[in-house]
Amino acid sequence: MVPQSEPYPKFQEVKNRTMVDILCFSRNNSVTVELPDKETLVSSCRLQDTLMDLLVVIRVKTPDLEITDIQAEIRRSSEAELPDIHETLKKVIGVRVGPGIKKIVKGLMGKSATEKKLIFMIGECCNGIILSFAKQVLGKAPKDLEGEKKFFANLVKNSPRLYNSCAAFSPESPLMEEVDPP
Amino acid sequence: MLTFSRNKIVSIHRKNDHTLRVRGILEDDIYGMEVDVDITLPHLEIVWINGKWTRMENRECPKAIPFLQEALGFRLTEEGFTQKVQKTVGRKSCRHFANILLECCEAAAEAVALPDFAVEKPEEAEPLQKEFPAKKITEKPARETHKEAEKAPTHKRGEITADPLRKKSQKGMIIDLHVHSAEASPCSSAPLDDLIVEAKRIGLDGMCLTDHNHVWSRETINEFQEKHGFLILRGNEITTNQGDMLVFGFEEDIKGIIPLDELRKMVVQVNGFIIAAHPFRGFLTFGIGQLGLTTEKAMARPLFQRVDAIEVLNSKVSEKENLFTSQVAKGLTLPGTGGSDAHEVEEVGIYATRFFDVITCEEDFLKALHQRNYQPLAFRKALKQ
Repeated sequence: MVPQSEPYPKFQEVKNRTMVDILCFSRNNSVTVELPDKETLVSSCRLQDTLMDLLVVIRVKTPDLEITDIQAEIRRSSEAELPDIHETLKKVIGVRVGPGIKKIVKGLMGKSATEKKLIFMIGECCNGIILSFAKQVLGKAPKDLEGEKKFFANLVKNSPRLYNSCAAFSPESPLMEEVDPP
Repeated sequence: MLTFSRNKIVSIHRKNDHTLRVRGILEDDIYGMEVDVDITLPHLEIVWINGKWTRMENRECPKAIPFLQEALGFRLTEEGFTQKVQKTVGRKSCRHFANILLECCEAAAEAVALPDFAVEKPEEAEPLQKEFPAKKITEKPARETHKEAEKAPTHKRGEITADPLRKKSQKGMIIDLHVHSAEASPCSSAPLDDLIVEAKRIGLDGMCLTDHNHVWSRETINEFQEKHGFLILRGNEITTNQGDMLVFGFEEDIKGIIPLDELRKMVVQVNGFIIAAHPFRGFLTFGIGQLGLTTEKAMARPLFQRVDAIEVLNSKVSEKENLFTSQVAKGLTLPGTGGSDAHEVEEVGIYATRFFDVITCEEDFLKALHQRNYQPLAFRKALKQ
C-alpha cells in the first residue's frame, strides 16, 4: 500500500502565510555533450550550488570512449585550501568510459571535498556520454503499443542486465511478457 | 553540435525546525521527472517522498512511482546509504529517479553542514558525514560454521575431489572461474554456503571465489572445502585503470585502483595468472557495435598485452559481446575462459571452464591455467539440453 502523498499547499494557503520559504540551499547541475567531429565527444558538467561553482570538461575518443583530455576549473569554493586538481585529473586520462568507470575514477583521485565533487562531476560527464548514445537507441522506439512492447523486449534480450533493472523491465511488466529471465 | 543535455535543479527550504523540504527536478533529452522529499533533522531521515514523471522512456515507467516509497526511513548518515538507494529505488523504481533523489540527499547533507544552519542535536545524534566507511568484511560464515565443519566428513587439505565419477568419464573438470559471495562482495546476495550447495547440485567440479579486491585466507577456504567436500579455489577480481582483472596465485591484498602495468609486474613475480574480465561489457541500452568498435581496433588495446587470458563467456554481458570477445581472443591467440560472474545463487555455473587436467588444489589449477589446456563452456545451458 502506497502512503497517501502529502498535498501541495493550495494558492490561498500560500498567500495566507506570514513568511516566505526562503531557500537555505540550491544547486544547478548542467551536463552537455557535444560532437565536435566524428571521432570525438566533449562532455561538460557545470555545478553551481550555495557552496561551490565548478566546471569539468572531458574529451573522449570513439570507438573506445577513452578519455583523452580533462580540464577543470574551480570558480568558487568554500574550501579554505584547494588541492592541485590538475595533477590529480591527469590520472583519469586513458581510462575508458564504460561500466565501472565511477569506481575507477574514485580510486584514482584524492579524497578532499573538492576532489570528491570532481569525481562526481566526471561521473556526470560520463553518464551524459552514455545517455547520448542511449538517446539514439530509444529514439527508434515505436509509438504504438505492440511495436513498443516488441522493441523493449528485444532491447532486454540483447542486454540481459536490463532485465529486472527497473519497474518497467521487472518480470511483472507487460513489456517483459515474452522475455525469458536470463 | 549538442547531442545531449541534462539539467538538474535542487532547492531546499526549511519546512519547520525539524524538517527540510527538498525539491529535485531532472530534465534531459530523454527523461523529465520531479521529486519532493522531506528529511527530518538531526538524523537526516527520509520521512516523505513524492515523485512525478513529466516525460518518460516507455508507457510502463509510471510503475516506478510507488517504489519511491522504498526510500522511506533511510538515513543519509547511515552506512552504505548511496548503495541502498541505488539497490532499492534504482532497481525497483528507476535509476534516474535514484539519481535525482541522491542529488537531493547530497545537497541536503551539504545544507545542514552550512555554518549558519542551526540544528538541535540530541545527545545520541549521529555525526553528519557525506561518505561512509566501507562495510568491514568479516569471514563470518567460516567461524559460524566451524562446529558444523568439525562434524562433516574430513578431506585431506588441498586435495578435494568433488565428483570422482566425472574424472573417470574423462570429460575433464568443470570449474566456474568467476563467483562473488555475499560475505566478501557487497554487490553479491549469494552466501558462500548456498553457492557451494548449488554448484554441487548442478554438477560443477569446483568454483573460484573472485570477490572484489578481497583475499580469502587459505584456512577459511579449507574449512569450507572440508565442510562441503567441494573444490574451492581462491582468486580476486581486482579493479585496475584498464578495467577488472581476475587474478589467481596472487595473495597481495590490493585496495583501491591499481594501474594494470603495476599489477602485472607483481603478479608475474609470483607466477600468478591474469584474466581480463568481461573486457567488452557494454552499456545497458546500446552495444559496442553502435560505437563502431571493430575486432582489429579492439585487439590493439594495450591491456591485452598485459593479461594471460580473456574471459570470453560471462553471464553479465550480452551474447553479442561474448561473441565479440571470443573473436578478439582468437585474433590475439590468447586462451578464453568462462565464468558466471554470479552475484545470486541461481547464477552459479551459467558459464564455466572445462579443464582437461585433474585439479585438486590451487597449485594444480595455476599449472593448468598456464598450460592453456582448457576451454570455456555454457554449463547451465548444456544441462538444460
